[in-house]
Amino acid sequence: MSKSETELWSALQADVDGLMGPGITLETRLETLPQWDSLAILLVITHFEQAHGLVLSGKQIRACKTGRDLLQFIPR
Amino acid sequence: MLSSLSHIRIAGLALSTGSVTRDFIADGLALGLERAQLERISQTIGMKERRVAAAGITALDLCEDAARRLLDEMGIDASAIDAVIFVTQTPDHSQPNNSSLLHGRLGLSKSTAAFDLAMGCSGWVYGLHQAALLCAHGGAARVLLCAGDTLSRLTNPLDRAADPLFGDAGSATLIEKTGHAPAIHFSLEADGSGAKSICVPAGGARLPASLSTKQELKDADGNTHHAENLQMNGSEVFNFTLREVPGSVGSVLKMAGWTPMQADALILHQANRFMVSTIGKKCGFAPEKTPMDSVETFGNQSSASIPCTLIHAFGGPLQEKTLKIVACGYGVGLSWGSVALELGPIVIAPLQSFPKL
Repeated sequence: MSKSETELWSALQADVDGLMGPGITLETRLETLPQWDSLAILLVITHFEQAHGLVLSGKQIRACKTGRDLLQFIPR
Repeated sequence: MLSSLSHIRIAGLALSTGSVTRDFIADGLALGLERAQLERISQTIGMKERRVAAAGITALDLCEDAARRLLDEMGIDASAIDAVIFVTQTPDHSQPNNSSLLHGRLGLSKSTAAFDLAMGCSGWVYGLHQAALLCAHGGAARVLLCAGDTLSRLTNPLDRAADPLFGDAGSATLIEKTGHAPAIHFSLEADGSGAKSICVPAGGARLPASLSTKQELKDADGNTHHAENLQMNGSEVFNFTLREVPGSVGSVLKMAGWTPMQADALILHQANRFMVSTIGKKCGFAPEKTPMDSVETFGNQSSASIPCTLIHAFGGPLQEKTLKIVACGYGVGLSWGSVALELGPIVIAPLQSFPKL
């Protein structure tokens, strides 16, 4: 059974500290997060590779505006 | 390219590090960065300390020290060396090459061949392949492979994505022809389409150094550098290693007929602890077989990081017994190379700084 959007987001947040914090949701603009930096992008790449077998480029991740945009890479 | 070469062995290893210790958090605080952010990076990526070369010391000096100590430890006279290969991207001069300078410093014979390989983090594996070829098919009995860099000199202190990573070191590896040794298996690959992912744009023939190439610019991540600095796209480099290294390691494992369980260790180029841990896992190796401590002490030492890790993690056992080792270097080029070999017992000169503290 495929995971819900909430489960996928929680799993991503658990691996990427820059996406954790009070009030951070799927709609939060990533550019407004103080820890949305090159380290966070490295952690996102690792999460997608390990959890979903997807190798994303830094460019693909930087193009995402929100957490929901990040989840669009997961085939469902 | 896949290659298996027989009747060759590594007989000895030595490494000399820079003598100046730099602390990641202290350096960041001195630049006015926040402690919490520095601790976050230190814990996630695994950056603590690194050893850089003292003023006036180059990769040639570090490798010469390692080579002298190795030959002394092995009781080998310099006249017994048939070829010297110098792997570096930070030579003393554009001309002459470092191997010729080392040839002169060590007083090698005129019949000793000397050439450089301009390679970075994959360079020790590429250099080992060249040395093994010379012994297997090139008429050499002993080849001295020196691999080292002083990359800390190329980064901009205000480039926090690159500057805190690099340590300086020089290694010496003695390869010799032997009648009885299992084959050494190599996989050597490259992808020039990614050449700009790690690049020093100026200072060569294409864009000579000038006042304008020293003009500092801030990139999208807020890191400052100029055209003579080493510039690195960290996420693209990480991506390339995730994509390519497991297949490369898998190739040499298959050629050797080993599984990750049967190999004693996977020695990955020590880019940083996070990368080594992630890639080791993806290659199917248990964390205890993938040493990653040396990078937290010495930094990313470019082509010297694999010999450093062999000495740091397995120096004791390698002097007494044979270990099944898989090693992989990856980086600038982009290029990457893996090797599977039965290593040991070998002579190891103690790991130390130059000048000695």
